[in-house]
Amino acid sequence: MSEKIKLYDASKCTACRGCQLACKQWNALKAGQTEHKGTYQNPPTLQPNTYMIIHFQDYVAPEGDVRWLFRKEACMHCTKAACVTVCPSGALYYNKEFKTVGMDREKCIGCKECVSACPFEVPRYDKETEKVYKCDMCETRITNNMNPACVKACPTGALKWLDKDEALKIAEGRVQQLGGDANVYGDKFVGGTHLMYVLKEKMDVYDGIKKDPKVPQSIFVWKNLLKPLSLLAAGGVIGAELIHYMIRGPHKPHPEHYEEAKKQGGA
Amino acid sequence: MKKQIVVVTSGYERFVHWLMAISCLLLCYTGLGMMYKELNFFGAIFGGLKGLKTVHDICAVFFAVGLLLAIQMWWKEAGVFVFPEDWEWIKAGGDYLWHVDHVPETGKYNPGQKMFFLTVALCGLLMICTGFFMWFPHYLPANLMDWVYVLHVLGFVVIFAFFFVHLYLGTIGNPGSVSAMFSGKMELPVLRMLHPKWVKEMEHEGKLMIVEDKK
Repeated sequence: MSEKIKLYDASKCTACRGCQLACKQWNALKAGQTEHKGTYQNPPTLQPNTYMIIHFQDYVAPEGDVRWLFRKEACMHCTKAACVTVCPSGALYYNKEFKTVGMDREKCIGCKECVSACPFEVPRYDKETEKVYKCDMCETRITNNMNPACVKACPTGALKWLDKDEALKIAEGRVQQLGGDANVYGDKFVGGTHLMYVLKEKMDVYDGIKKDPKVPQSIFVWKNLLKPLSLLAAGGVIGAELIHYMIRGPHKPHPEHYEEAKKQGGA
Repeated sequence: MKKQIVVVTSGYERFVHWLMAISCLLLCYTGLGMMYKELNFFGAIFGGLKGLKTVHDICAVFFAVGLLLAIQMWWKEAGVFVFPEDWEWIKAGGDYLWHVDHVPETGKYNPGQKMFFLTVALCGLLMICTGFFMWFPHYLPANLMDWVYVLHVLGFVVIFAFFFVHLYLGTIGNPGSVSAMFSGKMELPVLRMLHPKWVKEMEHEGKLMIVEDKK
């Protein structure tokens, strides 16, 4: 077994949303009541009980024709995952086999640090359970040699669960085949993601897509500088006090302080 | 030699001090347990990491109340530097670092104590504000929120290090001073050493409350 990629080929996606349903079914997630807002995209965004959605977008091409663009939004399973770095409880972790980002909900303490850290704005906090929810790439399935539920459900082959080398080769081949503005999304940032797209159009065209996702710099300052500094500074202070106590000794009243006291007392 | 004991703090002052001290120490303990994965076991006594977070959240409210009371009570006495006497004291290292023939006299609180008060007040307010947004991260844009966590840890770095200075100087570094926060009384010579000008002021105003004379 080796590092694996879930490859989403937008050019093959018909937005049947079989993946969305399969995701709900496998993860036993309830559907929520939503409102019709003039689009087939439903629910409108990721939710604590919706780990993935298909985006629907009407796109007017420069040539003048209208195209329907689809995009699967879900946890991207970063190689350098900001959420894993900030998670204080170990609830978020890397799957050792596949390098995806798993989640042990039992351990989640609902601190919401991953919600701010994620460069893709994926993790969703649920007030009722006080825990965070996101796609874990169907860890219970993939560790048992099955495809993720969404991949299993996909009727057109738009979703595939592949070894990384193979996925990159197929993606590259598909881009060549499609020509034009087609491109691979996901291989160039955060150490490479484990959900990758083949996009038909230029990346900029897609609504809500992250153009330059990065692990926030603040996390480096926080976890690599200030976190160790907190103990070092306190340790340094205690060390300095020990030395002070041995060399200078405690601060004791000078004779004059007693003298004055005596004068006062005698008066 | 006569030992004269002076009343130096009121019960209310001690109450506010311990309200902040206990909540702050619990906040440090629970915060460390959450920040370091290696210290996650700190949560064991609260039934796990989730319990640790709950205790942190509750203590935060007590600390916030204590801090506001403390600022309201002490900012005039301990929050404002008085020049040039405070500057003279700083230049002499407060008689702590090297030999000083005559220690510059300062008011009720010396500049070191003022620095500690101001640090706790400002960093404490920073901790309360950043902590509030950590409860409700959606009130701020995500890229601003990222730096809120950094500020929260920065405040901790400063408060935690300064706490040990406070602990040392309030106990073994200044023998005879710690009773001010327990019984509320101190021996006159120690008080004269630490707060000479304050003693003179109280004597002048007739407010020096000597409660015990021991032969």
